Amino acid sequence: MSTSGRSTETVIEIRNLSKVYRDFWGRPKVKALNALSLDVRKGEVFGLLGPNGSGKTTTLKLLLGLLFPTEGEITILGRSAADVAKNERIGYLPEESYLYRFLNAYETLDFYGRLFDMPASQRKERSEKLLDLVKLAPQARHRQLKEYSKGMTRRIGVAQALINDPDLVMLDEPTSGLDPLGNRDMKDLILDLKKQGKTVLMCSHLLADVQDVCDRIAILYGGELKVMGRVDELLKAQDETQILSSKLSDEAIRDIEAVLKKHGADMLKVDQPTANLEDLFLKTVQESRDRPGHRTVKDGAAS
Amino acid sequence: MSFDPQDMPVFDAIVYWMVVVGVLSIIVMVVSLLSLLVSHRGAGLRIFAEEILRSLTDLFSLSIRRIWALSKLTFIEAYRRKALAVFVVFALLFMFAGWFMGGDTRDMTTDQVKVYVSFVLRTIAWLTLPLIVVLSSFGIPEEIRVRSLHTVVTKPARRLEIVLGRVFGFSMIGTLVLLVMSGVGYIWIVRQVPASARDMLVCRVPVYGKLQFLDRAGNPADKGVNVGDLWEFRSYIEGATKARAIWVFPGIGERTLDSDGNLHLENQFLAFRSYKGNMKQSLLYDYQFRNPDTGATYTTEARPINENRGVTDVISRKLVSRTDGKTYDLIKDFVARDGTLRIEVSCIDREQYLGMARPDLFIRKPDVSFAVGFFKAAAGIEIMMILVVLLAVTGSTFLKGPIATVLTSVLMILGGEKAHAFMDQLMIGRSDKGGFQGGGFFESIYRIITHMNPTTELPDNMGFTIMTGVDGLLTGFLWLCKQVIPRLQYFNMSEYVSNGFDVPFGSTLLPCLLILVGYFLPCVMLGYFALRIRELESK
Amino acid sequence: MMNSLTSQQRKLAYLIGILLLLIPIIMLGLPSDGTKAGSRGKLAQLRTEYELGESDLGDVDPSSAAMNLVLLGMRGVAVNLLYSEFDMQKDMKRWAEMEATTDSIVRLQPHFEKVWEMNGWNLAYNTSAEWDAVPDRYFYVKKGGKFLMRGVRQNRKSTHLQYHVANVYQKKIGIADEAKFYREYFLHDPDPKFKGGVDPEFNPDEQDNYLVAKREFEKACNIEDQYRRPQHILDRTLFRSMPARCQFDYASSLQKDGKFGEVTREAWQEALTDWTRKYGQQEFSIPIGPLGTDVRFPIRLEMSAEDIRKEIASPDDAVRVAKMVESYRKMVNYYYWRTRANCESESKTAEAHRNLYEANQFYKKQELEKARDAAYAGMKGFEEILRTPEFSDLQAEESLVEECMLGMMVWEDIHRVSGEKVPADYPLKWLAAQHQGNHGMIANVQRSFKRLFLD
Repeated sequence: MSTSGRSTETVIEIRNLSKVYRDFWGRPKVKALNALSLDVRKGEVFGLLGPNGSGKTTTLKLLLGLLFPTEGEITILGRSAADVAKNERIGYLPEESYLYRFLNAYETLDFYGRLFDMPASQRKERSEKLLDLVKLAPQARHRQLKEYSKGMTRRIGVAQALINDPDLVMLDEPTSGLDPLGNRDMKDLILDLKKQGKTVLMCSHLLADVQDVCDRIAILYGGELKVMGRVDELLKAQDETQILSSKLSDEAIRDIEAVLKKHGADMLKVDQPTANLEDLFLKTVQESRDRPGHRTVKDGAAS
Repeated sequence: MSFDPQDMPVFDAIVYWMVVVGVLSIIVMVVSLLSLLVSHRGAGLRIFAEEILRSLTDLFSLSIRRIWALSKLTFIEAYRRKALAVFVVFALLFMFAGWFMGGDTRDMTTDQVKVYVSFVLRTIAWLTLPLIVVLSSFGIPEEIRVRSLHTVVTKPARRLEIVLGRVFGFSMIGTLVLLVMSGVGYIWIVRQVPASARDMLVCRVPVYGKLQFLDRAGNPADKGVNVGDLWEFRSYIEGATKARAIWVFPGIGERTLDSDGNLHLENQFLAFRSYKGNMKQSLLYDYQFRNPDTGATYTTEARPINENRGVTDVISRKLVSRTDGKTYDLIKDFVARDGTLRIEVSCIDREQYLGMARPDLFIRKPDVSFAVGFFKAAAGIEIMMILVVLLAVTGSTFLKGPIATVLTSVLMILGGEKAHAFMDQLMIGRSDKGGFQGGGFFESIYRIITHMNPTTELPDNMGFTIMTGVDGLLTGFLWLCKQVIPRLQYFNMSEYVSNGFDVPFGSTLLPCLLILVGYFLPCVMLGYFALRIRELESK
Repeated sequence: MMNSLTSQQRKLAYLIGILLLLIPIIMLGLPSDGTKAGSRGKLAQLRTEYELGESDLGDVDPSSAAMNLVLLGMRGVAVNLLYSEFDMQKDMKRWAEMEATTDSIVRLQPHFEKVWEMNGWNLAYNTSAEWDAVPDRYFYVKKGGKFLMRGVRQNRKSTHLQYHVANVYQKKIGIADEAKFYREYFLHDPDPKFKGGVDPEFNPDEQDNYLVAKREFEKACNIEDQYRRPQHILDRTLFRSMPARCQFDYASSLQKDGKFGEVTREAWQEALTDWTRKYGQQEFSIPIGPLGTDVRFPIRLEMSAEDIRKEIASPDDAVRVAKMVESYRKMVNYYYWRTRANCESESKTAEAHRNLYEANQFYKKQELEKARDAAYAGMKGFEEILRTPEFSDLQAEESLVEECMLGMMVWEDIHRVSGEKVPADYPLKWLAAQHQGNHGMIANVQRSFKRLFLD
């Protein structure tokens, strides 16, 4: 299926990408994206972060060819974004699963399978496998999608994104609207995809998800890239150490405090680790407001 | 009834089509290249070349499976959205139609049968076409609105395939509806028409000939005499002179005769009397068969006309001359080497006239079953429906649903025969050539404002030369626009069936198919480009 | 100002505006409460005053009302389109379709009298003439007549339409070239549907067409009187003479058909009554003043000089009125018809007619002696009648003179055939001499004479 092969380590290359939305008369209305440059490398899970309206979904849509760039260039799997052939190796999960509500799960997967020109036997096999993978209850599979709950829609959405066994998976808010259990499943799935050597590009504002699964992240604000780098590097900057353990008794906490004291350190707080990225995120947003144009890149890949 | 089925000049039509499509695509290419150059300067040329290249790639990477998937999806969508509820309306109409059209079914006349047949065909067309227009106009815009199309285009589905899939899918729905409706309609007609009148449900298969005239002195003429009719369709031959109407029928042989070996000639001549004469007796005519190769002739006895109703003359194959008793064989002695049969009609009554046009005399081949004609007419509706789907889907690639509906409906209305005649007159622009009086756009405005008589010549100066020049350009543009509007006159085949004729292929179905194909290519390409240059996400 | 209002306030303002504007419309359009005074809406009042309510005008056709409502004031456009369709269908001789279009047009304009008139005329006169076979022509004459009758039903107060209905019965059926056939078809319809009887829609009482025409003209006169809807087709004196004229036509047609018995005499008798008692006694308001003034005076055509003297005070006016009465009598041919009716209602005239008619019949059968006797009796009869000073006007009546001359021609011919000399003097010789110069008449007589052999 793939033709370009592994000629490059970079799966997505974005150079100087800008997008200006215009009104009916062609007058510029909103500058949604401003001179964005970034690379996504093969096999990594890359997270795009940013508050609402920061340009992350715009970036995804530009990558997919749903929007046309005002300026700049995109190379995705070695092809232009306008080239339909690139879609052969891409799986895309939209923010809300924009599927046909009058089809049932099998019909949906069969339909998208056909769009990949897959033969019938392969479609059938893939459908079963994917429906099991996303854990869609067997009794729900013959019902039309309009009867599905939010979580079920999301699951079938993921299944359709993976119907072609893509090399690059783009996920727009993959965990939105999922219950904690579904959330867990989704994260497992992303990590699983990574394990299979696939590249994942996701955008989200649920920081816990991003922190758990992403290798690298970029934070966008107001259409501009603010922070980019490896998640661990970005967070390592703080001179704090986190210990993650199973639930401790008060006595154990007191013991640990004693140990810390012995080593000349104070116990600062006992908390969940997500807060760290959240801090970073909030700090970045705050900083962007205070010091426009500032950028932190701890990565070196993109300049 | 007077219709004049003419075979479509296929070759000319194709040339004409190529000219129009060629001119239009050149205009589109030039305009888009220019606008690209303006907006992107130097890079414009490169973008243009890339786009062309990409389109060609798309064209060659079409996949039947994807198109089929999209067609099937369209079909299921319409089906599950209860578009087939139209059957309920149909059923209701037919359940009660009998009440209103019943009349006295015991002594049913040809006119009543005609009403039944045209009612059914018209109902089918009027129920399916609007449904299909709305369905196919709203298909793509609705998909864009709920963004299900976004998921599709992020798959390797080409925009061309999306357009094609839509066109095929809606055509499938329409076909299903038509199949069921025409089936039910057919059964309904056959059941409504009582057994006594069932022999009126036939499809006559006419062979039309070429018509020439001889004037009263026996010289060849294109037309006969005009007796003052405004409509110059029929012309008249004078009785008891050398005036003749000569029909030459092609392709005559044994198979033209009925099972008993008789030739059936049907005519519908009109009478014009220059004096009243014997008013109780219809005017008389006779036929003369003449073989141009051997010079053999045979004249039949005089027969009375039956104005506006028609006469069927059964001519037996074995002809015995009433003057010299010689016997002739109709096929062997009178059909020329090229397979044509020449029949001369003359009017018997002195100073009286018989009026006729080409379709007023035809050879009636053995009839075909009513079902054949009926379903051919249904096929005509089918082709029209596919054309409608094509136009609506194309429109919907760049317009919102309601606007696409209006566009398609307007195209359909303008496609009628009268609208085209009106536009033709508008295009000609000059009254001396059969167009409207008063000149083109600016000239007519000028004339209206200055109260200038349309027959008055315009002053000869620079300003008016420029004005008429601009008018000419505008008219040329209008001409091009008019070419885009389909000519729908071929599609109405119900007239044939309701008048008891078979639907001739060469003058109806073939033109319809050609028109469909002619629209298919440009429409699909337009839809493809419109969808491709469209940013689906932007509102 | 507007900007300071919230959207809700703005909507409220619009609503109040709409309601305010609605009040006068509602007031104007309030339906009538059914009383004649119509004290409610102004429109209803006006409608009652001018009797323009749909049901005042005639029968209400629900489909027509519905169509006009649906068109929302686009009726003119629709009618225009229909007329252009109509025109095309007419040119292309698609009669059935043209009739259907006509039907749609009148549904849209059910109270436009000219539309009914024009389309009825078109069917009865133009369309019928386009057909060759006489039964087909008659079919469209009937169509036109029935169409006009439908117009009358929907416009009960239309003097014009009623006049045109009568006209079809009198002129189209009675005077057309095909009159001989039409009059026969009127009683024995050629449409097999009627099995040789009348078309009950067209001739419900199975009467002669002239009698039906008379009745229809009387209806027109009644409408004029009852609804004060004057007609503008003919001068009123001529218009009011139509019923009586139809009676004349009827009586003459009986003679033409060879019926000379009591029925015919009575028909003439009734014609005389109609002419002198009914029509002659009607009042017509006539302007008698000098040009430009409007002094009117009621006159009657049967008014004697004495009547005028009695009724008019000023001798000047009396002279003027007498003059006017005389000129109107001339216009309607009053004396002639009076004399004719007078004469024809005498039994000796009937006798003379019968003799001449029988002469022709005998002559046809070549019973020459009987024919000669009958012709002579007829000639003698007319000699006596035409010599009577009272009837001397009839010496100029063409159809009568032609009848007499034909009789003479038969009589003379029989002399010739049997080798006898025509006597030097014989009854009516002077009449023949009087009309010697009228070549048209002579040709007519000769043609009729020839036809005696041919028929």
